[in-house]
Amino acid sequence: MSDLKAGPLAGTGAGRLLALACLALLLSAAALGAVALGAATMPPAKILSAIFAFDGSRDHILITGIRLPRVLAALLAGSALAVAGAIMQAVSSNPLASPDLLGINSGAAFAVVSVMSAYGTGIGDLYVWLAFVGAAAAAGIVYALGSLGAGGHSPLRLVLAGAIITTFLTSVTTVVLIFDQGTLDAVRLWTAGSVTGRSMAQVKTVTPYILVGLITALPFGRHLTTLSLGADASRALGQSPVLWRGLSIALVILLAGGAVALAGPIGFVGLLVPHLVRMCIGVDYRWVVPFSAVTGALLVIVADMVGRLVFGSQSFPVGVTIALIGAPFFLYLARTRLRGDA
Amino acid sequence: MIRLLVVLIGALALLVAASLAFGDVPLGWDELYRVLARTGQAQMQSEMIVWDLRLPRVLLAALVGAALATAGTITLAVMRNPLAEPGVLGINSGAAAAAMGVIVLMNDPPVGLLQVAGFAGALAMALAVYALAWRSGTSSLRIILIGIGLSSLATSFTTFLSAFGDIGDVQRALIWLAGSVYDANMVKVRMLALWLIIPLILAFLASRELDLIRFGDHGARSLGQPVDLVRSLMILLVTLLSGAVIAVAGNIGFVGLVAPHAARRLVGASHSRLLPVAALVGAGLVVAADLIGRVIVPPAQLPAGIVTGLIGAPFFAYLLWGHRHGK
Repeated sequence: MSDLKAGPLAGTGAGRLLALACLALLLSAAALGAVALGAATMPPAKILSAIFAFDGSRDHILITGIRLPRVLAALLAGSALAVAGAIMQAVSSNPLASPDLLGINSGAAFAVVSVMSAYGTGIGDLYVWLAFVGAAAAAGIVYALGSLGAGGHSPLRLVLAGAIITTFLTSVTTVVLIFDQGTLDAVRLWTAGSVTGRSMAQVKTVTPYILVGLITALPFGRHLTTLSLGADASRALGQSPVLWRGLSIALVILLAGGAVALAGPIGFVGLLVPHLVRMCIGVDYRWVVPFSAVTGALLVIVADMVGRLVFGSQSFPVGVTIALIGAPFFLYLARTRLRGDA
Repeated sequence: MIRLLVVLIGALALLVAASLAFGDVPLGWDELYRVLARTGQAQMQSEMIVWDLRLPRVLLAALVGAALATAGTITLAVMRNPLAEPGVLGINSGAAAAAMGVIVLMNDPPVGLLQVAGFAGALAMALAVYALAWRSGTSSLRIILIGIGLSSLATSFTTFLSAFGDIGDVQRALIWLAGSVYDANMVKVRMLALWLIIPLILAFLASRELDLIRFGDHGARSLGQPVDLVRSLMILLVTLLSGAVIAVAGNIGFVGLVAPHAARRLVGASHSRLLPVAALVGAGLVVAADLIGRVIVPPAQLPAGIVTGLIGAPFFAYLLWGHRHGK
């Protein structure tokens, strides 16, 4: 990764900590703004009273029933996907890697689509669990395939296994969707990635997994940096690459599986955000992980807010706005921060 | 190497013959022979089925597969990333966005516009990726990252249309996006063959340059290779090959990824061997995919692009994990 120019925040630990604090502040402001703004504006005092002294009024129901779950879903999904992406890129030493490479999104989509097609589209909240289980199963198969065989475990096998399983599952899903218009109509918003109409119950179902994943990921940074140097370097430094790679992938399943269950396959948060972060603060994963978490959450919340306020549609898929906001910034950084040859 | 080529060509010929014989109206082998040998004893109906319906389709599938595999092999060498396939240049997402736009936004689009739009979308994206990645030279990593960024923009456009477009249009677009060769005819086959022949020969002639550029920019440069020039020419070749394929057959994915890896398993990394073997594997894969897609759930037809995923994935897994003592 010597091809990265040091970004403006690559300096001292104190500088980074300050930057992280600023981002976190920005995130809380954005989250507050996302709850407050909308068709009816809610003053912050009312939001607080809705959370701590719920009185059943219309405004309070609007806040706790609609806006808060939506913002929490965006927050959790964004941070989980970004951290999972950072871990994947470290583990596979491949800039093209994202949680999707483990088959997370395609596994979730496959499970949701096939059950909906078999049992009808009225499966209610069950799809959250379906997505989670599908994602975890696909990722488990990818990991098993990636570690089988004489060569043992290697990043190359892992990414190829991921590509194979992803392609296979996506093909099956497409077959179902081509023949089943009802299911296509029911899932197409979900597959675009959306946090519309999430309920507090759905958020609560997924929160523990994502929280455990995020908290465990923080002290992982040191080992991720070592892993990202490649298996040889990691072994030379006394690390067991197989053990840590396995643990990292378990974390990715928790994080990205939870995120896809909550918000659908918003793929490229996991791809874009870690790159963004590395281009700004360098390749030390002790910092990349927390920065990714905050930046990912910020991106998804702001994108959802923009979709609601600017495009004026409650159901504008957040996946689309994320690309509209994130991609130009990403392109700018990729153009200016990467040196001539690599 | 010779033996392998003979085996591969034999397998491809067998697949082609099977594709000509099987289908909604199965023909016996003797009837197929009578048609192909032009003995004049075959039934009119069989003549029509073979020459007008099945042969163009098989030839188109073979050409598409060979072109995709060659483009994939070149991309793999130039990008030095095992996941790199022509899609990293934004080709597929650009074509998908353009085609989705035509299908969903236009009422009753004129015949041929879809093809033109697919090619134009692919070309525009590849050019944009290359232009944005150029800063007094290019680098593989920068091309990959710019490709990711621009692809995500194009894909968000596609997603938006698929979420809000008319459901029937979206379903039709889904079939096109999956890639298929169902509306083949001899004119298409001839045009594609003429278009592909020069890029394919150029790619084969450039196999030494591809061997060099795989070593990395520094290594290739110190061996006297003008790296930026070679890379831009190779990207141009990939764009011409995949763009033309997308125009006639839609987004047939996975062949560009699986064929080069399979070929590398079979003959090693030298591109003068790799390119022809990959082309044969790719051709066989798409021909087989189209055949299976036609016969598996008659009278419905699965698009070849989907079947490449369904059968290509296990085949690829077998290649990677089956030969434990392979290279």
